[in-house]
Amino acid sequence: MTVLLKRRSVIPGFGITLGYSLLYLSLIVLIPLTTLFLKTASLTLAAFWEEVTSPRVLASFKLSFGASLIAAAINGVMGLLVAWVLVRYRFWGKRIVDALVDLPFALPTSVAGIALTTLYAKNGWMGQLLDPLGIQAAFTPLGVTIALTFIGLPFVVRTVQPVLQDLGVEVEEAAASLGANRLQTFRKVIFPSLLPSVLTGIALAFARAVGEYGSVVFISGNMPMRTEIAPLLIMTKLEQYDYAGATAVAVVMLLLSFVLLFAINALQWWNRRKYGAR
Amino acid sequence: MSIEVRNISKSFGKFQALKDVSLEVKSGELVAALGPSGCGKTTLLRIIAGLETPDSGSILFHGEDATQSSVSDRKVGFVFQHYALFRHMTVFENVAFGLRVKPRPQRPSNEVIRQKVTRLLELVQLEWLADRYPSQLSGGQRQRIALARALAVEPKVLLLDEPFGALDAKVRKDLRRWLRRLHDEIHVTSVFVTHDQDEALEVADHVVVMNHGQVEQFGAPEQVYEHPASPFVYNFLGNVNLFHGRIVGGNLQSGSLKVAAPDALAGEERAAIGYVRPYDLDVQRARTNGSTIEAIVQHIHPVGPVVRLELLRRDTQDSLEAELTKDQFRELALSVGEHVFVSPKNLHIFAADYAI
Amino acid sequence: MTVKEAAPRPQRPTITEPVWVRWLLTAIALAFLGVFLLLPLAVVFIEALSKGLGAYGKAVTEPDALAAVRLTVTAASISVFLNLVFGVAAAWAIAKYEFRGKSFLITLIDLPFAVSPVISGLIYVLLFGLQGLFGPWLNDHDIKIIFAVPGIVLATVFVTFPFVARELIPLMHEQGTEEEEAAVSLGASGFQTFFRVTLPNIKWGLLYGVILCNARAMGEFGAVSVVSGHIRGITNTMPLHVEVLYNEYNPAAAFAVASLLALLALVTLIAKTAVEWRTQRDRKELVEIQESLTP
Repeated sequence: MTVLLKRRSVIPGFGITLGYSLLYLSLIVLIPLTTLFLKTASLTLAAFWEEVTSPRVLASFKLSFGASLIAAAINGVMGLLVAWVLVRYRFWGKRIVDALVDLPFALPTSVAGIALTTLYAKNGWMGQLLDPLGIQAAFTPLGVTIALTFIGLPFVVRTVQPVLQDLGVEVEEAAASLGANRLQTFRKVIFPSLLPSVLTGIALAFARAVGEYGSVVFISGNMPMRTEIAPLLIMTKLEQYDYAGATAVAVVMLLLSFVLLFAINALQWWNRRKYGAR
Repeated sequence: MSIEVRNISKSFGKFQALKDVSLEVKSGELVAALGPSGCGKTTLLRIIAGLETPDSGSILFHGEDATQSSVSDRKVGFVFQHYALFRHMTVFENVAFGLRVKPRPQRPSNEVIRQKVTRLLELVQLEWLADRYPSQLSGGQRQRIALARALAVEPKVLLLDEPFGALDAKVRKDLRRWLRRLHDEIHVTSVFVTHDQDEALEVADHVVVMNHGQVEQFGAPEQVYEHPASPFVYNFLGNVNLFHGRIVGGNLQSGSLKVAAPDALAGEERAAIGYVRPYDLDVQRARTNGSTIEAIVQHIHPVGPVVRLELLRRDTQDSLEAELTKDQFRELALSVGEHVFVSPKNLHIFAADYAI
Repeated sequence: MTVKEAAPRPQRPTITEPVWVRWLLTAIALAFLGVFLLLPLAVVFIEALSKGLGAYGKAVTEPDALAAVRLTVTAASISVFLNLVFGVAAAWAIAKYEFRGKSFLITLIDLPFAVSPVISGLIYVLLFGLQGLFGPWLNDHDIKIIFAVPGIVLATVFVTFPFVARELIPLMHEQGTEEEEAAVSLGASGFQTFFRVTLPNIKWGLLYGVILCNARAMGEFGAVSVVSGHIRGITNTMPLHVEVLYNEYNPAAAFAVASLLALLALVTLIAKTAVEWRTQRDRKELVEIQESLTP
């Protein structure tokens, strides 16, 4: 790694720590990920294209991306609201609620999966409420969306919260002294300052939702063409020893993840550059 | 528009920020609120603006009670110490903000807004920065933009909270002169808060000196400086020598010094303190007529046009500070260790029960 | 120098929404969190105890459940240890030195977060599976990685890879290099510098990273599911055991095992909050000390 040039430092251990980090990173992450692309290379372009555009694969992409987008959007709105309430208002039990927001990060996805399924099944607590309205949640795309909303819930809250906390009261006072009412102050002053963090949170929630497996497989019912998400399709193909097919779907998803990762970084970089250091 | 502050009190928890403060600012005046940190000056300013509600008392604008009206209804321009510019808006949009949020019927057209903002940016001499973002400006530029933004809504009252507090010394000095000239041009009733006495005395028409949530003195700069109403004001505005002593038979007796006391204090015998500015101490080599104190020269600091002497009183062993002009000093030709005779030219006596 | 106003400011800004708006927004937010967080959590415990305490006890102490617990703890400990060592080494290299490609390296470290758990498992199948790159060789030498414990550990290590590093990098960066330089100039060795100077400064961040890493390691489902092969009593971790029981129409037992994982999640949240309060307090004290030092 000759591109890595060290600036002089008296602190010892640069070589060994960086060397170890790179070795470990390569062994655990980089080399295994590369095999995915190697495996894809064994397919011809036409075969790859046929694989990823087959109706069943397309249906799973449509469901995965569609439901993830809706879930991320719901989390964008509700996450902003939750962050606002947690930062700005005082109420009993606030600290507990604040801690509980991270539950989807901490709760194993299979536990979340069976809990949500039980909750939204026809005879479950929520299912009983929804059934008379003619709404079926479990084993439908709606159920998938609910699970993905659960899994992405903390992202927007946690990206917006610190920004909102740091947002000086002074700018709001300035807006008010210039004659703006509360709604104008929110729309023109507060919201634009929060928007980059809201978008970052939405992108993170979306990225997580697209790849999510455990919490979805129970509630979705896994009907091909209808409620089969892309990660599950990979699993199914693997179980049928269709390694090439599984790899092709995985590569498409992985590329999308990279694009998202890049977009999130670009968003943060652009935000820092334009509005000054923060 | 005049501002009248009537018997305002305000507490934050156990801390009483303002105690029964009253004040009147005449239309078109530039008034400085001066005092140490925590004296309540910023709270007073925020209450005038409507950013804080008083526990009791009232605020009158042009004779009309405005205590209950919200900050957005008061038509005050408020300039914050740390500018509070909107980071995601250009300089132009920052200044235009107050016009764009007006209710639709009163909202000026885009063309009118453009003209007005351009005029304001010209007024603060920053029209070339219209398309920049606040993060690209220097501190002094940001503060001028903040001022232009506050002026855009044509406020009847302009309130500035430590407007130059976050700037370095040189920029501060330029900006405060510029503020004075600007005020002479637009004549809007203004109150600014500062802890810097030079700033207050140089720029303001009137100065209100505050301490511990109360008004110590309100007056023109020279009046406040030359005739301080309290020991606090004496101490806060410039250096001062203290002569601790007692009033006996109509005179202040401090060590070997004896000076006639004002009639108000002359009655019974009591502790008192005389206050003298360093430049009001007369220093001679020989004993002169009248009451003098013998002292020893301990240090000599020639600073710019004046020479500062540190003296030790022989009677009480207290320290004194005297200021001589270069000429006076040359005439006396003093050196460290020599004996001199000191007499106060201008001494204010306050009874010692004034706590400072 | 900026002069700080000594007077305390009111906690809440004077300018805020009308009371009814505040109430409404709070109510909506709490209702949303109630439905999406509290209900699923409540269902786990209620369903777990639906057949009584006896059934609960039996479900969590049967041999397969205990084997799952053992495997979960083993995989999690190995993952936490490996990623802890890596996290400290990477944070040290990244935070204490300047070199080219640093931000790219940070992005690479974050990579496993962007990868679907199923793909995380898939890549190891492609490497070590029977049809995989090393599959035939491993088969010849009778080494089993996929559908065996090593595969589970590998998949777990992959998905929890960034946790410790991403907590430590910003923290160590913020603390700069002055203290380490001082230590070295006073004659401390690299290890002495780390254990006596750096570690006390980062201990809470380190603990925080370990807590998160452990929670994810014990709870990982998708990646482990791909490589495990679901052999009861041998390659089932707790989350997989939950799935098996649930799919065998034994929900009470599934929820009983799930309740253990839910408890783990709650303990994680409590520990995480405690560490956060602790760091906040330390930081507040530091700020107060600094303020009292500046006139």
